[in-house]
Amino acid sequence: MEEMPQHRLSRLPDNSALKQQKLPAHRLHFTTTRVLFVFFTTGIFCLCMGIILMLSARRTQEIEINYTRTCANCAKLRETASNFDKECTCSIPFYLSEKMKGKVYMYYKLHGFHQNLYRYIRSRSNRQLVGKDVKAVENCYPFKTSNNDTPIVPCGAIANSMFNDTIILSYNINSSVQIKVPMLKTGLTWWTDKYIKFQNPSLKNLADEFRGTTKPPNWPNPIYELDKKDPRNNGFLNEDLIVWMRTAAFPTFKKLYGRLNQTHHFIEGLPAGSYSFNITYNFPVTRFQGEKSVVLSTLTWCGGNSLFLGLAYTVTGATALLAAFAMKAIHMMLKNKQMSFFHQ
Amino acid sequence: MLNSDFAFSQFHHLQRLLLVHGRWSYNRMCKFLSYFFYKNFTFTLVHFWYAFFNGFSAQTVYETWFITCYNLVYTSLPVLGMSLFDQDVNDTWSLRFPELYEPGQDNLYFNKKEFVKCLMQGIYSSFVLFFVPMGTLCNTERNDGKDISDYQSFSLVVQTSLIWVVTMQIALRTTYWTIINHIFIWGSLGFYFCMSLFLYSDGLCLAFPDVFQFLGVVRNTMNQPQMLLSIILSVVLCMLPMIGYQFLKPLFWPISVDKVFDRIQACRLPRQSPAKTRLKHSSSRRCAYAFSHEHGFGALITSGKTMKFRMSKKRTLFQKGRGPREIPKEAVSARSPTHAT
Repeated sequence: MEEMPQHRLSRLPDNSALKQQKLPAHRLHFTTTRVLFVFFTTGIFCLCMGIILMLSARRTQEIEINYTRTCANCAKLRETASNFDKECTCSIPFYLSEKMKGKVYMYYKLHGFHQNLYRYIRSRSNRQLVGKDVKAVENCYPFKTSNNDTPIVPCGAIANSMFNDTIILSYNINSSVQIKVPMLKTGLTWWTDKYIKFQNPSLKNLADEFRGTTKPPNWPNPIYELDKKDPRNNGFLNEDLIVWMRTAAFPTFKKLYGRLNQTHHFIEGLPAGSYSFNITYNFPVTRFQGEKSVVLSTLTWCGGNSLFLGLAYTVTGATALLAAFAMKAIHMMLKNKQMSFFHQ
Repeated sequence: MLNSDFAFSQFHHLQRLLLVHGRWSYNRMCKFLSYFFYKNFTFTLVHFWYAFFNGFSAQTVYETWFITCYNLVYTSLPVLGMSLFDQDVNDTWSLRFPELYEPGQDNLYFNKKEFVKCLMQGIYSSFVLFFVPMGTLCNTERNDGKDISDYQSFSLVVQTSLIWVVTMQIALRTTYWTIINHIFIWGSLGFYFCMSLFLYSDGLCLAFPDVFQFLGVVRNTMNQPQMLLSIILSVVLCMLPMIGYQFLKPLFWPISVDKVFDRIQACRLPRQSPAKTRLKHSSSRRCAYAFSHEHGFGALITSGKTMKFRMSKKRTLFQKGRGPREIPKEAVSARSPTHAT
């Protein structure tokens, strides 16, 4: 064979494994055994997991009381905006047949309130909430400034629509004595929210820091007066505000309102008996066909009493096992038709 | 078959070009197309389901930076690796069995029907990827009572489930795993987690609070068991039907090359490609006896007589105990220049 001229040799691709498509590799093979093994193990795992999840969800206790329309005539009163300064309170009794053991959490639940609307989610100013610049109101349309161009603090539609009902749980020790159940209003938020994402401008007097700004239109008090009882729960660090600003993903959601303070009568939880909710009804929901309720709940290692995950796992596990048996049967029937291996 | 222009110096190069590289190229192209459509349908159709719950306000399920990085960095390298290196059978077998070239001629691996299958699979995957996290998070809290059903946690769960599902899908569709495929696939997955930790870290979110808004979501969400269980369930529900379909398809809807693949599988045990000398002695290795004394079918293919003799060639290859007399005379007498294959 004659030698090829030099310029021809330079055009040859390299004789490396990469360029000659001869890299060492292993092939993915799905043999029948492996497929059936995958189906069997997945089925068994999912079935066990589903049963464990359903059992633990059953162990929680939850009570939900819908008070949209059962609270005196407050619903009708709040449908008219000019009644904003008229206070409306009511007391809703209920009975706990079983003791709620352990930690008990109180939530307020809203139905039909879309915190996941596109323009609603955008309407906030994180720069303002982190305390860098209280007058930064760029993204907060339509609640940027008030009529005389004073910046609103906290600006935006999310903050403006904050849930402002007051709910107090009372316990009837006997027919004549009623005591307030002690609830903690701290520890309701994520640690990163409370200490990093939301910060007050400084530790000095908050009223001074927020001078030159105004409160959102729907709020009764400015931000530095949100909690008159606990001075540390004011400004951007108010736990109710932080909980509300964490917008929900779906139109039905519940947000933490308080945790049971396990002292005195309530060391082991909420004893059985008759209770009542004393509610100051401020938040209007009937105008958009929404509903609101209070929820008392205990929790387990995987959250509340939602059976969805347990059911889904059980169904998946059962289906996978059935499919494995069916495929094994099909394979055995067709085995004698010279289909011993299948390709990928 | 894919309308490319090549120039080469000798005709015998055509055999390798068509049967090996052309065939691989067609297979890779079809796999690439079907995977790419599937991954983007899955990604986008989640928003269709979410529209029913967000008042049709076009709120995205994912975070904006995830949408930016999804096609660019999280899913581009694995499919690139598959498109460059994937081989269903190696070059020796491709040359031994020219029938493997038929799917390309019949447009079998990517046509309207296959596209509709991608679409259906994408719709199903998006359905699972939306409703499983929704059902998990709708009425749940963290185990310390705090919020987990918020928009940012939901977004993170759907994103993570999506990345796991599409990565597992490309891992399933890649049949030829070189070291580069491993790096691309598992590296992309690892890169997603690193990027998430970076984008949701304190430093970045505090420096640009209105641009990076998901501060602390990974830390507060990913240590909850219901989130991890939701991701596992989504992956299981998306992958098992696909594996089952791959298993059942050659049994119920076989195509012509399935027999060839079975034959190759049978010949592969023990794990050696059959050398010409061995096959003369082994009577059970029907697959390659016909080649024991042939130059190869290069001349036959290039002469254009392949089509006419296709039927007889098949009968010869797959029947027991027939002698070389059955080979068409033209093939026996044709002289093709020898070359190492």
